[in-house]
Amino acid sequence: MTVAGEVRLEGELVVLRPRVDDDLPLFARWHGDPDIRHWLHMSEMPNQNMEVERQRWQIARSDPTRVSLVIETLDGLPIGRPSSVGIDAAHRRAELGIAIGEKDHWGRGFGTDAIRVVLHFAFETLNLRRVELITDIDNERGIRAYEKCGFVREGVLRAKRMRYGEPLDMLMMSVLRED
Amino acid sequence: MISESILTAQKVRLRPVEESDLTHFRRWLADDELRKWLGSLDKQPSVAEEFDWYSAKRQDPDTVLWSIDSTEGALLGNAELRISVVNRRAAVGIGIFDRDEWGKGYGTEAMRLVLDYAFGELKLNRVELATAVENVRAVRSYEKCGFVREGLLREHCLIDGQPSDSVTMAVLRSDWQAR
Repeated sequence: MTVAGEVRLEGELVVLRPRVDDDLPLFARWHGDPDIRHWLHMSEMPNQNMEVERQRWQIARSDPTRVSLVIETLDGLPIGRPSSVGIDAAHRRAELGIAIGEKDHWGRGFGTDAIRVVLHFAFETLNLRRVELITDIDNERGIRAYEKCGFVREGVLRAKRMRYGEPLDMLMMSVLRED
Repeated sequence: MISESILTAQKVRLRPVEESDLTHFRRWLADDELRKWLGSLDKQPSVAEEFDWYSAKRQDPDTVLWSIDSTEGALLGNAELRISVVNRRAAVGIGIFDRDEWGKGYGTEAMRLVLDYAFGELKLNRVELATAVENVRAVRSYEKCGFVREGLLREHCLIDGQPSDSVTMAVLRSDWQAR
């Protein structure tokens, strides 16, 4: 990971810090939890374990287009991760993926706060013009949070991914710098 | 990987990319007008960059790459599928690089061959692409092949430094079977 460096991004409820090697067990646990996994784009990949997670991290950490962060509560408890996957420098846009891995922190505004912090970072520090994401069409809680943060629906991608072996539509959303 | 399949229609033939094709690709990529529509290159690639592109594609198990020839044997461009196996989808890219050969239906025919391969051989569910809305000729060709517009991506790319909308399109296995 090169872009985030030593960043520490502060919101009202959360702090975002760079992901480190020691976070590996945490990510393996989050990504292995069926309730979390349900919503992940990679949910059809072979089930998450430490070795798979380590391989993914090896790739992610050396990818200059990726920012890997961890979301912590103000008292320092890691609760999830945002990742700007695929920063496209030529077109000055990025794709956002976010997950709150600690379920007891769902529905309490941590995700929304984290998204706002990431957007500020994307537009102000990375000087991007557009941040986009795709999410499962039935991810109502996620979509509500994205809309609160300014994301606009741009289209429905039919059968975009598989979930439990069935094709699933996904919603394309984006927020522009001027939004 | 470099496809070993040879796909033939009336006007075009898709065949494995050979190293000797790279000189021609690179020569065509000096054309600003061509690169504008490809959307991924801001300048002509060097010999080394072109070769790196080729070896990366050759090693990537999730990519299938062909060269497009006319049935008379003239090289016209290339075609690519980037596959997500677990999600049974692929992104497609077709480029007719030789500008003298634009508007003759080569791209449309090449796309139909690639779709047949994607749905027939690879048993995918969905083939998708995004292109600049200004790329009117290409969008018309994609629609002829069964692609459906799914959304408008606002200010998705920079063309000549100006933000420009993209259209995201896809054809599903069920569309293709019903054709």
